[in-house]
Amino acid sequence: MFTGGRSFVSSPPAFSNDTKRLLVCTGNTVSIFSTSTGLQTSELEGHGAQVTSVIVVPSPKVLCYCWTASLDGTIKYWDFAAPELMRNIDIRFPIHSMVIPSVLSYTTETSSKLPDVFAYVYTEEVKQKEEQSKYPGGQIHKCNLTKSRVVGGVTLAETRKPGSITISPSGKYIGTYEKRKLQIWEIPAKDSDHVGFKKIRLHHTKTITTLAFHPSEMIVAAGDVTGRILLWRGIGRRTFSNGGKFINGAFNKDADDRPGVRDNDDADSCTTWHWHSAQVNVLFFSSDGAYLYSGGREGVLVVWQLETGKKKFLPRIGSPLLYFINSSDPSLSSISCADNQIRLLRMPSMEILKSISGIKLPSSSLEIYEGFGSGVVFDRAAGLIAVPTENYRVQLYSLFDDREISEVQICQRNHHPGDEITVKVNLVALSPDGSTMCTVETRLPEEGIGSLVSLKFWACGIQNKDFSLSTVIYEPHRESGISSIAFHPTGHMAVSSSYGGDFKVWTRRQEIHPKDQAPQNTGWTCHAVGSYKKKPMTAATFSSDGSVLAVAAEKVITLWDPDRNILVAVIGDSLEPITTLSFVGKSEYLVSASRGSNPHLTIWSMSKLCTSWSYRLQAEDITCSMDNSTFAVLALSESSKGTQSAKATIQGPDGVILLFNVENPVPLSTWFVSKAKGGRLCFVPSSTKLDYEVPETKTSDAVLAYINGNHEYVLLDPYSEQSSKLSISRQHNSNNLEETERFGYSSIYGELPEFKLKIDQALISSMPSEKSWRTIFSGPSHTLPPLPKLCSDYLESLLERRTAVVE
Amino acid sequence: MGSTNIRDILTSFNPSLDLFAISTGDGRIKIWDTVKGQLQTEFADVASTETNSIFGKQEGGHLSMDYTCMKWLTLEKKKKRKLGSSLLILGTGGGDVLALDVSAGQLKWRVNNCHPGGVSAVSFPTHGSRIYTTGADGMVCEIASMSGNLLNKFSATSRAISSLSVSPDGNMIATASAKLKIFNSSNHKKLQNFSGHPGAVRCMIFSEDGKYVLSSATGERYVSIWKIDGSKNKSACSLLNMDNPAVFLDSKCVNSGDAKNPGLAVLAISETGICYFWHGKTIEELRNSKPTKISIPFDDEVLNKPVGAIPNVFAAKLQSIYEPACGNAFLAYGLLIKPTFEKVLVRQGTDVILNVSHDGILLPINRSRKSKKASDTQSRVTALDSSNAEGALLPVPKIFDLVDGKSEGKDVASNGMLKYSLNKSRYLNNTSQINYFGHILWNNADKDGLDTVTLCMEERLRSLGIIGNNDDKIKSKLDSKLFEGIKLDASTPLRKVRASILSMEPNNAVKLLKGLVDVWQSRFYSAKHVLPWICCILVYHNDYVKTQEPKLLDSLYKVTKSKGPAMNPLFQLSGRLQLVLAQTNKASNNKNVFLEHNENEDESEDEDVDEDVYGIEEDSQTSTDSDD
Repeated sequence: MFTGGRSFVSSPPAFSNDTKRLLVCTGNTVSIFSTSTGLQTSELEGHGAQVTSVIVVPSPKVLCYCWTASLDGTIKYWDFAAPELMRNIDIRFPIHSMVIPSVLSYTTETSSKLPDVFAYVYTEEVKQKEEQSKYPGGQIHKCNLTKSRVVGGVTLAETRKPGSITISPSGKYIGTYEKRKLQIWEIPAKDSDHVGFKKIRLHHTKTITTLAFHPSEMIVAAGDVTGRILLWRGIGRRTFSNGGKFINGAFNKDADDRPGVRDNDDADSCTTWHWHSAQVNVLFFSSDGAYLYSGGREGVLVVWQLETGKKKFLPRIGSPLLYFINSSDPSLSSISCADNQIRLLRMPSMEILKSISGIKLPSSSLEIYEGFGSGVVFDRAAGLIAVPTENYRVQLYSLFDDREISEVQICQRNHHPGDEITVKVNLVALSPDGSTMCTVETRLPEEGIGSLVSLKFWACGIQNKDFSLSTVIYEPHRESGISSIAFHPTGHMAVSSSYGGDFKVWTRRQEIHPKDQAPQNTGWTCHAVGSYKKKPMTAATFSSDGSVLAVAAEKVITLWDPDRNILVAVIGDSLEPITTLSFVGKSEYLVSASRGSNPHLTIWSMSKLCTSWSYRLQAEDITCSMDNSTFAVLALSESSKGTQSAKATIQGPDGVILLFNVENPVPLSTWFVSKAKGGRLCFVPSSTKLDYEVPETKTSDAVLAYINGNHEYVLLDPYSEQSSKLSISRQHNSNNLEETERFGYSSIYGELPEFKLKIDQALISSMPSEKSWRTIFSGPSHTLPPLPKLCSDYLESLLERRTAVVE
Repeated sequence: MGSTNIRDILTSFNPSLDLFAISTGDGRIKIWDTVKGQLQTEFADVASTETNSIFGKQEGGHLSMDYTCMKWLTLEKKKKRKLGSSLLILGTGGGDVLALDVSAGQLKWRVNNCHPGGVSAVSFPTHGSRIYTTGADGMVCEIASMSGNLLNKFSATSRAISSLSVSPDGNMIATASAKLKIFNSSNHKKLQNFSGHPGAVRCMIFSEDGKYVLSSATGERYVSIWKIDGSKNKSACSLLNMDNPAVFLDSKCVNSGDAKNPGLAVLAISETGICYFWHGKTIEELRNSKPTKISIPFDDEVLNKPVGAIPNVFAAKLQSIYEPACGNAFLAYGLLIKPTFEKVLVRQGTDVILNVSHDGILLPINRSRKSKKASDTQSRVTALDSSNAEGALLPVPKIFDLVDGKSEGKDVASNGMLKYSLNKSRYLNNTSQINYFGHILWNNADKDGLDTVTLCMEERLRSLGIIGNNDDKIKSKLDSKLFEGIKLDASTPLRKVRASILSMEPNNAVKLLKGLVDVWQSRFYSAKHVLPWICCILVYHNDYVKTQEPKLLDSLYKVTKSKGPAMNPLFQLSGRLQLVLAQTNKASNNKNVFLEHNENEDESEDEDVDEDVYGIEEDSQTSTDSDD
């Protein structure tokens, strides 16, 4: 059990008081990094879901306390120096954002009894969803942390979607934005359970994306989707000052003198700055209030002098900015970028001191182009994953070290974060020996012309560090796109299949110079071309010994001799075009998966050239172990599975990993996983390094790596006993994996009934277990066993009970 | 030789091998990320900033720090993986011992003036709770690794100690200057003495099981292995020879089945940056084994280069040992400025040559020839455009033949994956395949430029033994003079036929008739073209034929008679075929127009021919009858 590939930029990080540490929300944990070295020093483990807020309690001493809030509905209080959990407050609603005003305005005299600490949490209302069948609504609640309860009856706002709360540096105001308006509340200096709130609204014509408070003055800055920054000065003079003692008439007079202020908004003036060309994500006032930092999609940090509006820039950050956080040390601050990097800046000069970087996150803008195939691929030998990134690169990430190894620029062009995407790296394949990488990139057509597919072969240097381009092939299949690429398991051979109805086998040719015998040019050339009835070729794979090439021609599978290019056999007729093909280890079976309205997972026997067994399930990915005859399938489960409790609905598992043996359609083990869309699976030989860390994997030499749609991965031991102890540790380690709970039908027969479509042989031995009558009628009626079986069982149970009575 | 020395640098891997610390004698410690191969962080004068409060500003700058030894300590916490529990222990020439928390980037603790005159060695057992240090004062100090408190101190010798090692279980301490002494760590009693090193020992380690001590002294060109058995034996158990003095040693036990007397695998790095590897299942085997070298090839330019620009292997760690005398070693090599990290598989007996890349190094290189060459080879990229498939292997067409069915099945079976499976019935069931092969078949026939139908039907029938093989005779006949001027491949106008027949000698005409009858019978050429000739001959040379060859006429009569009864069934057959064709046309119109069309054409030709044949035949029959 090993998790990794976490996002560092899901929520804003926080600096410790001595600025030596940076607390970063990483999935279910909070990781603590050293700001001087950029290395992780410790971790706060305990939340059961994603941590959304971390707030360090400011104190002049070296105390290291922090509050964290998570989607699991708990607020926790930690001593992060130890690290140690101090308190746990369960408020039962998923928390999307939390602010604690009172910690900011801490008082120096600690002798008197401390006032109650109040937090304001932006929660997601689960109850509403069930009762009114609405989308989840957001609510801002007040929470008394000292007494560990939600303050009843105080709901500051109800919104359609939970967002984030912003707090002013002084802790006097909190604000939220929704669509085109801002809402700002004044927090009373002496907060208690029953206190009234004063609130103002500010309006804008565009959707607001971020909000910031000036540290000392009544200035609010907001950024919108078009890149404008709005500055309201003198807000809330009417509403907030002295309980609204001012005469209303006085303000009506001033109405004409309020330039830029919309309608009846409570502000003196509103000015607009427009430099950003795209959405503003980051707004932050410097601690002295003289500067405003802004950043957005362009990946440029802009510093505005507040008085004059003069600008200074930190360009070429390379990725959209998400958060800007300063520390108590004015010379150190951090920016979080969308490519999962946190950069520590030395402040006045804006010089990047250190980078904390993780796995590249799936880009939201790439999702638009469907049918291009998301391309996380595994390198079994080296324990790597290759992640195509937005900026025309491929990141190689070490699974066992949880660290980036290198990046390869696939396409020679500059990437600007805000730009429209014109080139996409679709497919990546790594040869089993790790010496070659193959990539496919597509230039998207502009107004219908100029699209170009190119296939590139890269030679790899030592330790996967330097890749050099060896061959580039423009339009390898004329205009048509490439559906898949696969490498020969041993030789220097690769196959690319295209939707245009042909596949090509590429081989590496070595030209040896006569003078020095070293191979000089190792270009790849086309070895063979094949097609089958001009049908689109949708998937291709080699058998484990490389003697057979299987190419899926839409609904049938054609088997070829790759060396001589002879069609050996044609098998099958699936209902939908086949999307994935894989040979199962060294066994004589081939697994195919098709998607669409009638998705299927089919096991073909190569000796009989016919279907061995099949399931009707939506397979997202298939992986086969190299040596034995097991394979694992990542299946997307239908949404109508009523097995999950209401608590899990926020991040309910939407996928299942099933581990099969080819001879047996009953899965060997099952894991429920979340965010399975776009996920990938692979058997990776466990290295000695993993053995060192995880002693229980010694039983097998391969671990199952699963990477979900958010590029978080987990390494599972596929053959471990499903003992209760292990399942607990699994639950403990990550929430996106839950052990299968067996009840109802499966407790008797040990099988998932709803996947079954057709099985050639009756393989399930339906031996009712003893005392099955206890659970026989539990579960929904449609999953109950057939009547004859029920009947005999039921009668037996009756008999048994009677004897008991007699005794 | 002196310039290539790596004697003065200090290196250490962290326990999980993902970080590497190196200090090159300037008081700075660089921490490299071995996964990325990048510099992670750097510690410059970390100690002096901390000491400012104590000593004032008397020693400033990193150059004042003189590190003499460095070890990376792990505090074993099995639950937490690699987080927060590794310290870099440093000894200085001033006699201080420092512990750096590398991931946090700060000094953890410091013991000032622990060994006046300089710390020479630090060591700790595997559990890492205590650290033992020694120095020029001949004392051994025991320090708690978490707090830095001095726990214990004892005097090992009155002279300076140059090296120290603690056995993995922590029970024994070995100290060495020139003389090697083994102490019990709890009561500080001397267990054993070894003498034999001429000078100060530079590096010394315990074997994993604590049964042997490996040591190497300055100026010695061998590694000595000493057996700890409590005996009075003071000489080395075995010596491993090297070309240059060793600066670093590592060893692993080899599981040879004999638990009591396991073998050893030893790794050593010499002053010149060459890594040596020995492997022996027993100590005796180790003694006789020859070292395997891991090195970076030298070239002539090395001596001209400045110090530090010579690629070396400067740190290594044995990771695991496999049974057939090979092991995994994790190496740091290349240039000190930018080391390369690689896991290398060492096999006993095969030397490993490492390649060094000069990427990312800014150094004055005397001749740029080399780098140019490198860029030349790298920049050569093959580019192919859309006509990339030229010269590629096209799919080999497999002509479907029933006779070949079995042999093909065998081919498939020999492929290993597909056993005998393509039998006849399978072929016939799989219509798509028949279509496919059929297509190829017709295409091929067209290429040959012959009358496709007759050729294929004939061949097929002949192969099945329905038609006898008398082609050759007929062919030879056709080649003879007789058939000059007679073209049977195409229909000739009647007038021409009549003219040529009339011009013939009756004798020749009879011979021709014989030939034509044979041709007709064997269906070598279409009857449509043959029959007019026969007819004509019978008309114009009937007298001669009657007189000379009555038998021929009889046979001709028999042939025509025999063909007569077949007429009706043939007509029926052709009618049915037409019906079937019409239906298939209708059904498959939208499916594969091209393919079907081709086939239809071929087959309909077939039909036409047959019909014509019999149509004319009837005529000929009547004509012959009338002649009779």
